[in-house]
Amino acid sequence: MLKIDHLKKGYEGNEILKGISLDVNKGDVISIIGPSGSGKTTLLRNITTLERADGGHIQFAGVDKDFQKLSSQDIQTIRRNVGFVFQNYNLFNNKTALQNITEGLIVARKVKKSEAEKIALKALERVGLSDRQNHYPSQLSGGQQQRVGIARAVALNPQVIFFDEPTSALDPELVGEVLKVMRDLAESGTTMVVVTHQMNFARHVSNKVIFMADGYIVEQGSPEEVFAHPSETRTKEFLTDILANV
Amino acid sequence: MENVRLIINFLGQLLPAINITLVVSVSSIILGSLLGLGLAAAKKSESAILRVISAVYVSVIRATPSIIMIFVVYYGMPLLFSGWFHVNIEGWNRMYFVIIALTLLFSAPVSEIMRSAYESVSKGQMEAGLMVGMTPFQTFYRILLPQAFVVALPNFANSVINLLKEGALTFTIGVVDMVAKAQMIVANNSGGYAWQTYCALALIYWVISLAIDKGVTLVEKSYQAKRKTIAA
Repeated sequence: MLKIDHLKKGYEGNEILKGISLDVNKGDVISIIGPSGSGKTTLLRNITTLERADGGHIQFAGVDKDFQKLSSQDIQTIRRNVGFVFQNYNLFNNKTALQNITEGLIVARKVKKSEAEKIALKALERVGLSDRQNHYPSQLSGGQQQRVGIARAVALNPQVIFFDEPTSALDPELVGEVLKVMRDLAESGTTMVVVTHQMNFARHVSNKVIFMADGYIVEQGSPEEVFAHPSETRTKEFLTDILANV
Repeated sequence: MENVRLIINFLGQLLPAINITLVVSVSSIILGSLLGLGLAAAKKSESAILRVISAVYVSVIRATPSIIMIFVVYYGMPLLFSGWFHVNIEGWNRMYFVIIALTLLFSAPVSEIMRSAYESVSKGQMEAGLMVGMTPFQTFYRILLPQAFVVALPNFANSVINLLKEGALTFTIGVVDMVAKAQMIVANNSGGYAWQTYCALALIYWVISLAIDKGVTLVEKSYQAKRKTIAA
């Protein structure tokens, strides 16, 4: 459904992504793990065209082109078929929880307002925030904001939702509520690509784990393969380090 | 008491000329804001030439005293127009020259206010807009602009009050505004009652400034109140 080939990205001569290839199939829940600075977030931002990749090919939603040759029409097509959940939530500060969700539906998708509100309420219910529909982001906790962020992505019914370290900015006691929502989504068949430091999520919820380091995919496979029987030394070191700190 | 009676009397004589002051101020505010918006956009544009032009413009205009700007426009523009376009604009209503000068003056601080307000809105807001499928323009108009507006409001009001005061120089090129009117009153009284006349004038400016301040506070309050009532 989504196929990335040899995606490259650098900043001022510094190569961050050194040729990443990735296949996402419908219903996949892919966790991308790896040390800070390995390029995980950059990868998501380049696939979703928030940044323009220096090289590589994308096949998605009818677009089949090199990243550098994407027209603004192609970019719009890609953006309208993905959802994105940000580390810092990035809810629209001047909109209520409900309006955060209806905004994209009404403005970008041209859904009628009454219809959009119905969809939005359903999405809020799904993340357990029906009673917060009229609250502004500043009146919500971090965990609640992130759940609205997830509802906003879900309501658009995209082919795949990208999560960029969705729990990293949260106080520890708020992480659970967000992970629970993500777990529910995964179980209902939503296609998800998740950059995360939550090893439990990666291990027990995803069907595929990718370990990235220094701009490469070092190892990928089922959670069982990557966590229980990693074949690369780099993966072993990372897992030992991170699991020692849990 | 005599003085109070005099001041009230002068207020009555000055007020009819307030039209000119208001027309000049409101026109300059509207035109200056549009020009300021353009300058702010130029400052944020990808073209280095536009950025430099905008930066130089703002730096020159900000350093120009209002009275000099008014004289430069009043004496310079007719020469420019006849030289370049062979159009004679010397017969123009002098108010137009003041409006042009104040528009130029107002655009510089306003562009800075708009730029910094825009920058105060997090970059993530634009990205979030793009990721729900909105175009950059839709996101700017519906998400960034309303947020920047609230941030810019207090500084914008300050600039408006400054403009209002600079507008008091309108009389220097012979437009009969409130200040010119006050001078005539003083002249008619052979130089008498001068301080009462100018006090009346100051009072009028004070009341206008007060109205601007109150207006801005009301707008700000309505923004906050809206959020509270909806959430309650």
